[in-house]
Amino acid sequence: MASVAELKDNHAKATAEVNSLRERLRKRRQMLLDTDVERYSKAQGRAPVSFNPTDLVCCRTLQGHSGKVYSLDWTPEKNWIVSASQDGRLIVWNALTSQKTHAIKLHCPWVMTCAFAPNGQSVACGGLDSACSIFNLNSQADRDGNLPVSRMLTGHKGYVSSCQYVPDQETHLITSSGDQTCILWDVTTAQRISIFGGEFPSGHTGDVLSLSINSSNTNMFVSGSCDATVRLWDTRIASRAVRTYHGHEGDINSVKFFPDSQRFGTGSDDGTCRLFDMRTGHQLQVYSREPDRNDNELPTVTSIAFSISGRLLFAGYSNGDCYVWDTLLAEVVLNLGTLQNSHEGRISCLGLSSDGSALCTGSWDKNLKIWAFSGHRKIV
Amino acid sequence: MASSAAGGGGGGGDGDGDGDGDYSFAAEYDGPPLPYSLPRAIPLDLSRIPLASLSSSLPPAPTASPLPVVRPLTPSSLCSAIHGHHARPAVAAAQQSSSSAASARAGRTAVGAAAVDSPTSVIENHHAALHHSAELPSSPSDEEDADEDDYGGGRSAALPSKIHQTVVTFMETKTSSSLLQSSEDEEDDDDEDEALAHPSARSSGSPSLAHSDLAHRMEAVKSRGCFRCGKGGGFWGRGDKEACLACGARYCARCLLRAMGSMPEGRKCLGCIGRPVVESRRDSLGRGSRVLRRLISAAEVELIMRSERECAANQLRPEDVYVNGSKLSPEELVVLQGCQCPPSKLRPGFYWYDKVSGFWGKEGHKPHCIISPNLNVGGALDQKASNGNTGILINGREITKSELQMLKLAGVQCAGKPHFWVNADGTYQEEGQKTVKGKIWDKPIVKLLSPVLSLPTPNKANNHSGEEAVNMVNRLIPDYLEQNTIQKLLLVGSGTSTILKQAKFLYKSKPFSLQEREDLKLIIQSNIYNYLGILLEGHERFEEEAIADRRTICQSDPSSSGRCESELGNKATEYSIAPRLKTFSDWILKAMAIGNLEDIFTAASREYAPLVEELWKDPAIQATYKRRSELPFLPFAASYFLDKAVDISRPEYELSDMDILYADGITSSDGLASTDFSFPQLALNGRGVDEPDPQDTLLRYQLIRINNKGLHENCKWLQMFDDVRLVILCVAVSDYDEYYEDANGNVVNKMIESRQLFESIALHPIFEQMDFLLLLTKFDILEQKIRKSPLTLCDWFSDFTPLVSRNLLTGTSKSSRSSSTASSLAQMAAHYIAMKFKSLFQSLTERKLYVSYVNALDQESVRSAIRYGREIIKWEDERPVFGSSETTYSEEPSSYSH
Repeated sequence: MASVAELKDNHAKATAEVNSLRERLRKRRQMLLDTDVERYSKAQGRAPVSFNPTDLVCCRTLQGHSGKVYSLDWTPEKNWIVSASQDGRLIVWNALTSQKTHAIKLHCPWVMTCAFAPNGQSVACGGLDSACSIFNLNSQADRDGNLPVSRMLTGHKGYVSSCQYVPDQETHLITSSGDQTCILWDVTTAQRISIFGGEFPSGHTGDVLSLSINSSNTNMFVSGSCDATVRLWDTRIASRAVRTYHGHEGDINSVKFFPDSQRFGTGSDDGTCRLFDMRTGHQLQVYSREPDRNDNELPTVTSIAFSISGRLLFAGYSNGDCYVWDTLLAEVVLNLGTLQNSHEGRISCLGLSSDGSALCTGSWDKNLKIWAFSGHRKIV
Repeated sequence: MASSAAGGGGGGGDGDGDGDGDYSFAAEYDGPPLPYSLPRAIPLDLSRIPLASLSSSLPPAPTASPLPVVRPLTPSSLCSAIHGHHARPAVAAAQQSSSSAASARAGRTAVGAAAVDSPTSVIENHHAALHHSAELPSSPSDEEDADEDDYGGGRSAALPSKIHQTVVTFMETKTSSSLLQSSEDEEDDDDEDEALAHPSARSSGSPSLAHSDLAHRMEAVKSRGCFRCGKGGGFWGRGDKEACLACGARYCARCLLRAMGSMPEGRKCLGCIGRPVVESRRDSLGRGSRVLRRLISAAEVELIMRSERECAANQLRPEDVYVNGSKLSPEELVVLQGCQCPPSKLRPGFYWYDKVSGFWGKEGHKPHCIISPNLNVGGALDQKASNGNTGILINGREITKSELQMLKLAGVQCAGKPHFWVNADGTYQEEGQKTVKGKIWDKPIVKLLSPVLSLPTPNKANNHSGEEAVNMVNRLIPDYLEQNTIQKLLLVGSGTSTILKQAKFLYKSKPFSLQEREDLKLIIQSNIYNYLGILLEGHERFEEEAIADRRTICQSDPSSSGRCESELGNKATEYSIAPRLKTFSDWILKAMAIGNLEDIFTAASREYAPLVEELWKDPAIQATYKRRSELPFLPFAASYFLDKAVDISRPEYELSDMDILYADGITSSDGLASTDFSFPQLALNGRGVDEPDPQDTLLRYQLIRINNKGLHENCKWLQMFDDVRLVILCVAVSDYDEYYEDANGNVVNKMIESRQLFESIALHPIFEQMDFLLLLTKFDILEQKIRKSPLTLCDWFSDFTPLVSRNLLTGTSKSSRSSSTASSLAQMAAHYIAMKFKSLFQSLTERKLYVSYVNALDQESVRSAIRYGREIIKWEDERPVFGSSETTYSEEPSSYSH
């Protein structure tokens, strides 16, 4: 039996080797990565998308929350939006009429995330109570007009930072949590199907803040974490992450799959958005803003969303800006924060309607706004 | 009375606003413009007079507008008018008497002066009379009394509830169709009138409003069209519109959603969000409309109506309600509306309230209803409150004639103008006498005749004593108020779950729900395995040591080596475990090593109950347990639970309150937990220390406990707690010689870890301006071990040099003495630790740290700690008022209570 000192020695050696290998891998990658999207498309002579300030207009303001809005989600079919706010309410909005259809009072007002089920019949939310609550929108409200919780998914040992239903599967839901894990749930039984990370060595080493499920292969999902990495998971293999993506220098607040499902974008505390290729693991592009003239700290990226074509990347920043990036040329084509009647606070969440016709932004100014294209040109 | 006046004034008028007005002869003059102004008869009621003079002081209507406009009063301007009136009642009264004495003509000229001359305009009268009689029962006796009528009329005109009725509006009477339309309007409802008044109301509310906009709106009004698109005028288009509750602007179905957006406060246009509703529309709050129901789904309408009823901006404003001459505070309004028998349909205005009997009425009028007595609202009752002239006083108020009649009917001896005291239950006695003379309500005839005299009779629910009414601790507080009055206290650190549980025991009638108890039971049951696992680990170590010991003995004593060998082979030491239990214990150890102990044993805890019992009773485990002081990772609570391990692992185990307190955590996830409570007033009175504060029962506190496991630098979710009033950090003083192993395998002193947590919280940008209270817990354990292990074991406390004589410090003196020195030494240590934290906080933030000591297992100690927290919040609230208060308060935290 090896002595403890010997084991420690071995462990230190192994760690050093892993680090050196990782460094070699990084160098090799850098060598192989001879270009990025921006340079390539410039070489191809692509012209940037141009936007007039009036082309994107705020066509609806959803007022009704009395606290900061933290999260929103669209239904896949109907034009409904669910939003979660620090006032301890989930509100389901009809985006067309801008009216509330449901206002759900939560047991724990510190809610961080919410999601619509694929069939639009129920909503899920999670927050600091370390549980994910499911509400059936068709269930009967009680005397005070509150909807009862239909399922409570408990098992996380930290706050629930993000949740998303597996597309086309009403019964499966993935949550990410501050306990460094993601969990795939069976909603009908409220049982855990598999846990990603945690005791397994290839899991995240920091709070997991966001996740995004691949829409064409729903077995795959990516998670972004405070450890500045994104990990790709296969729901059939919980024991290890399929791949780990390095590159960011701060907490990753938001991950979203690119519409073609082969790439994904990230938004981070380091103030940049990045585009990664899922299969090769390469970082394709960095979308970073010009440093402030006053040499202030860069505002962090709070949330991102892609347009249906993938040509535009919407990114909300902690200073209230909301940039529209041209993903090909890495140029900011519009800043929603400077438009007429834009939000007065930080934009905390973003989401595109399923048909791509409208963008919804939620902000700490307690409002949600719906933006739509009002111009007449076609975006190429 | 007002109706008759208005009828008389408007009889010959060209279009009285009242529903019964005949419009057929009010043909419009369409000849050439006249060089002189036409003499006109204007409908009039007395209540309008002071307002007309008031509105004439406003700037004239913009000349650009096609129609001359009288500016109706917005609610805000009304209020100022009311307050002004109230401040100078004499002036108002003088104004009244002069104007009313000069008969209707004077009033007419006043109105005429206010209204810019226009041949086509018609001044419309609201249903003033109608409202008046509906709101306040007027009796014939009141009307007969000319004196009273005059004064009362003047006063009632100053009442804000009346003012909406006196809004002057114009009506275009150009064509017969619009004439027809207007007549139908009156039948419809009086909402239409406010709509007409809208543009000028808007312009007077915000003078900077564009005049062009106004012109456009006037056009819209002229055609009674939509305010946004201007369409939808004419006869057929007018039905499908919805009006804003605050400004009265009307929108057609197409524009409604755009103009009103998502209606967070109900039907208000976007610009009016946050503004109070027009009083006349208060009744329609939450009543669904046809237009909305056609536009959006029923569920959506329902939510709009709910927010319309419940949102704070649509509630009655306390500053508009005067009781006994003093403005109500928000708390008083809640008390008033939340009592057993609240005044029905409370509107802004001046009221008097007889606290003893519960009589309630408008100022200058006889009682209107009987509400709950002994409510602590408003000022003192005035003798002239109901403007009586009978000379008879009830509870210091001179009663009116109709009341006197009623008293006579009730058989009360009223000769000689006696002064009565009437209680809530109807018993009355003469002032200065002890004997109860009788009950007013006893005679059935009184109850029968009271409605005839439009006097109130007591409500059945009214029969309870006054003390109950005052101390309504568990009174329901409306949602919209709760948002503002809740004070959040954030609990961070070690031992916080125990404090939260104590708070639940202290302030909740039902501290833990069945579900919570079930959760806690599971936590305790699965924790037993955890404790056992730690014991087993310790047991393994002890066993190895024992064997090693024996081996050394054997080696040192070769004579008995043969016996030793055999013993070693058997490994039968004191710490050997029975072979039957070996597999079970191995399983526990394995699960612990992997880290999923809870996952395996939570569900299966019942199945293994007999095994747990057997294992616990095994002499090897008991022997290990005896040496528990050598097991550093065994939590303090473990011995408490292990002592009753057998009971706990049984399925029928019932938790005691003590078990709950000792249990590790509150919920299975051990995440955030919170509890709401308010301080019961009785407890304060019992102490006699604090003045009973009416706000106290209203203020609600929320204790939020967060797990410090998830706290790290750059912790994002702490941003959610930016509305917290006080951060309560708990540090166990006994941590100084305890260590734990962090993720990287480094051994860290727990006190150093607490300091790191303290620093990161204190420096977190969210808590930049927050007050901090440091609670030092586990003083009892410090007392126990301070002598065994000196405080200087912790690096941070290396300069702890208590001034204790040598022999006391070493504890060689008698036992009784040594225990007292230990406690004094412990106290010194605790003070020293507090000082350390204070100076650290000072150096970090340059603010002051409040410190208190608490024993989380002692209910009284937690109670005083929470009360201390409340005091800190109060001081902070008062600080801006008393700028110098800081110096007096700063003494307090540094004086130690222990």
